[in-house]
Amino acid sequence: MSEQTLVMPAPPLPRRAAPSFEAWSLRCVFGVLAALALVFLVAPTLVILLTSFTATESLRFPPEGFSLRWYAALLDADQMQAAAWNSLVVALWTTVLCVLLGTPAAIAIARSKSPWVRACDVLFMSPLLLPALAFGFAALIFIHRLGLRPDLPLLVLGHVIVCTPFVLRTTIAALTQLEPSLLDASRSLGASEWTTFRRVTLPLIARGIGAGAFLAFMASFDNVPVSLFLADERTEVLPIHLWQQIENNLDVRTAAASGLIVLLTLTLMVIAERTAGLTRQMR
Amino acid sequence: MAAPRAPLTLPLTALFAAGFVAPLCVLLMLSLAAGDDGSAGLTLAQYARFLGDRFNLSVLGSTLLLGAEATLVCLLFGFPVAWVCARAGARWQSVLIFLVVLPILTSVVVRTFSWIVILGRQGLLNQILLGLGLIDAPLKLLYSEAGVVLVLAQVQMPLMVLPILTVLSRLDPNLADASRALGAGEWRTLWRVTLPLVMPGIIAGCILSFAASITAFVTQTLIGGARLLYLPLFIYQQAVGANDWPFAAAVSVVFMIAVLLVVVLLNGFGRRYEKHV
Amino acid sequence: MNERFLMTRRELLMAGGALALGALLPAGRARAEAGKLVAATYPGTWSEAHRNVLKPAFQKRVDAGVTQSIILGTDQVARLAAAKGQTPPFDVAIFDPPQVLDAVRQGLIAEYPAAQSPHYAELLPVYQDRWGPKVSMQVIGLAYNPERIRTPPKRWDDLWDPQYRGRVGMTALNSQLGLAFLAELNRLRGGSSSDFEPAFRALRELLPALGAVAANLGAFATLWQQEQIDIAPYNFNFVQTLKAKGVPVEFVVPETGAVAWHTSLHVVAGTTVPELAVQYIDTHLDPLVQAAMMQPPYDVIPTNGKVALAGAVTQSVAKTQDALAALRGVDWAVLTEQRSALIERFNREIRV
Repeated sequence: MSEQTLVMPAPPLPRRAAPSFEAWSLRCVFGVLAALALVFLVAPTLVILLTSFTATESLRFPPEGFSLRWYAALLDADQMQAAAWNSLVVALWTTVLCVLLGTPAAIAIARSKSPWVRACDVLFMSPLLLPALAFGFAALIFIHRLGLRPDLPLLVLGHVIVCTPFVLRTTIAALTQLEPSLLDASRSLGASEWTTFRRVTLPLIARGIGAGAFLAFMASFDNVPVSLFLADERTEVLPIHLWQQIENNLDVRTAAASGLIVLLTLTLMVIAERTAGLTRQMR
Repeated sequence: MAAPRAPLTLPLTALFAAGFVAPLCVLLMLSLAAGDDGSAGLTLAQYARFLGDRFNLSVLGSTLLLGAEATLVCLLFGFPVAWVCARAGARWQSVLIFLVVLPILTSVVVRTFSWIVILGRQGLLNQILLGLGLIDAPLKLLYSEAGVVLVLAQVQMPLMVLPILTVLSRLDPNLADASRALGAGEWRTLWRVTLPLVMPGIIAGCILSFAASITAFVTQTLIGGARLLYLPLFIYQQAVGANDWPFAAAVSVVFMIAVLLVVVLLNGFGRRYEKHV
Repeated sequence: MNERFLMTRRELLMAGGALALGALLPAGRARAEAGKLVAATYPGTWSEAHRNVLKPAFQKRVDAGVTQSIILGTDQVARLAAAKGQTPPFDVAIFDPPQVLDAVRQGLIAEYPAAQSPHYAELLPVYQDRWGPKVSMQVIGLAYNPERIRTPPKRWDDLWDPQYRGRVGMTALNSQLGLAFLAELNRLRGGSSSDFEPAFRALRELLPALGAVAANLGAFATLWQQEQIDIAPYNFNFVQTLKAKGVPVEFVVPETGAVAWHTSLHVVAGTTVPELAVQYIDTHLDPLVQAAMMQPPYDVIPTNGKVALAGAVTQSVAKTQDALAALRGVDWAVLTEQRSALIERFNREIRV
């Protein structure tokens, strides 16, 4: 696809002198629906952030008082810290493996039309569609059949399966926007396949890979359905720990942990936006 | 093509063969196994047990229905968001996409947690509605299907907005202009020109948000409570609570087939539509 | 040009990062396995008392890491059964009587080595058990929100009072609270251990009044706090803990009496750290620990004879250990046999 899919310039108000009632009504309805949707999308994040600063022991909105006591309490929450650490290690490994395995596959999928590669494409995308919980359970049975027990490396492999589609999608999108003439030029100048890849292709698709890696990292860090079966009490990960706390306890520390996660996510998103142009890669 | 590309897929294919296809095959075998280790041959008994029971079928039905409802709400709100997004300038577009993507990147547990605070009987939403005089008594949102649909729609909205936006922003604006020039009104143009052209994006969005909604274990259990039983919790209960792996495996297989059927159906609908256009 | 250099540097960084990560993972695993105890705990009061009192006391005695995981009793049995023959997922189990029966039958817990546990002998005789010491007693009654229900309820029957329509809470039968309430209801409505129809009929009548059925016991805490429910059967301890957090909730013993049972700790069969497990359990029997747990916001009923009964227990449940022993129990052996059938029936009949 050579035509640049630039942002479509906003169509100026209809050329007719006064916008018709119809045009106006369409804009109004869509504008209101979109505004509602945006409030709906952002409100929960704001609510949890505000609630986490409550001074009381109960989770009510609006929160009473303002304090950082629950954030301070996180410093003592060694079990939550251990779970967060596990999640971080798993997510980092998952991201590295997703990128290492996903990038070559994306190149093949973007460049080749062979039926084998088409079939692979469908296979690699299927974890996005099939119920992840069923896959998590299947993986647990499989591991038991092999005579193993779930541990962190196996959990990483499970996460790689469900997180790879993110890297594939963004990388393929970046590859399809690549000018083939650039690659031809490089080859005609005598550069080898590998050199062309390293010097031309990779720098050009790096932002796509970066965005995919970011999404894979977040997806792994946040994964519940696979971890539910492949992580146990000895390898507790953060989302499962938080889920347990929320379901079982009235613990405002959970709100503070949530607030922290929200803040970190926002920071990471801004970084991803600055370095990899996240929102452009996701279109 | 200077070099064959297919071998580049091999490492990932190997991982998927060992880590994805093989477990699913084992799952299938277990669901068909007669006797504890499957030595006694194959049987459909577990499937008969699931499909022959109205209660179980109603769980399957309500799960698919839940997915459909959440998808529709996603579409109702997601399409306008994508529409506004496509018309916004580059800077605003980035901001909007940022806001749309924000929820899907915030931990699902955290997001659901926040909804508990919002949806409770004395929660934020009821306070607002009561304050505005729109209702007389607090609505029951937490532990209700409406609540689950609402939260799922919020959680999965990005999956609907992004594919639609992709198609919308590649659309040739001349087509809509031509339609208007021919005297068709805005709504008519939207309905007869834009919507059909965006259909592939809508179908993709529907498939993604449907698939994500029906398997959203955390949201379903935390917002739905015990009386609203959906397949993911059902499978979890059978597998972990009751330790009945063969039955849980059969339910998982039925679940996957049901999802695949819906995906294929939607896909087929999209194909027919494309031909039609 | 510049960008290309950046990229190669970034590649280098990534390779370096991957190497650093390679060093991280084994460290993480080693940390998880050396001298570390994993103990199951119950939601609410229990997990908080165990985290805030038991864990520090244990770590004062022994230099070891402790992970406390909240798992309901029935789920613990299922998890242990699934991992049988391998390293169990946790080393110390916390059970109510029905799980003890199940676990002993399936060989999931080891006999308690009383000789290695100095505080075991201090327990009152009713709390001693070869499979593991009883560490407390759970008492259930009626909980209500005093801000919204001015006159305290008196009997279980008050749950059916039309004025509480839409505000009654229930918990699913995967907890002992749900099961014990069902059994008590059945007894009061004239059912028998072979006929639970009276209880289910009563529950069906209660359906329109239900504001929520919690998926598990712990979720109840959230329901009270969000004021989703105003009246429900509940555990004495959970009410005390919520109250201490400023949630408006009170506990009353119904006219027909409270229902009570023992809760015990057990060494899991096949654990790799049996000594740590015994030390942990013994810490829970320590009179100092039990006295601390009897303070608000836990109000855990002590089982060590050296701890005199005091506090909220004596005000709303029983004045003496003898009076506690006289509380109505539950015939768990009979209930356990039918539990899965009852749960299935409950799931089918008590739906929306």
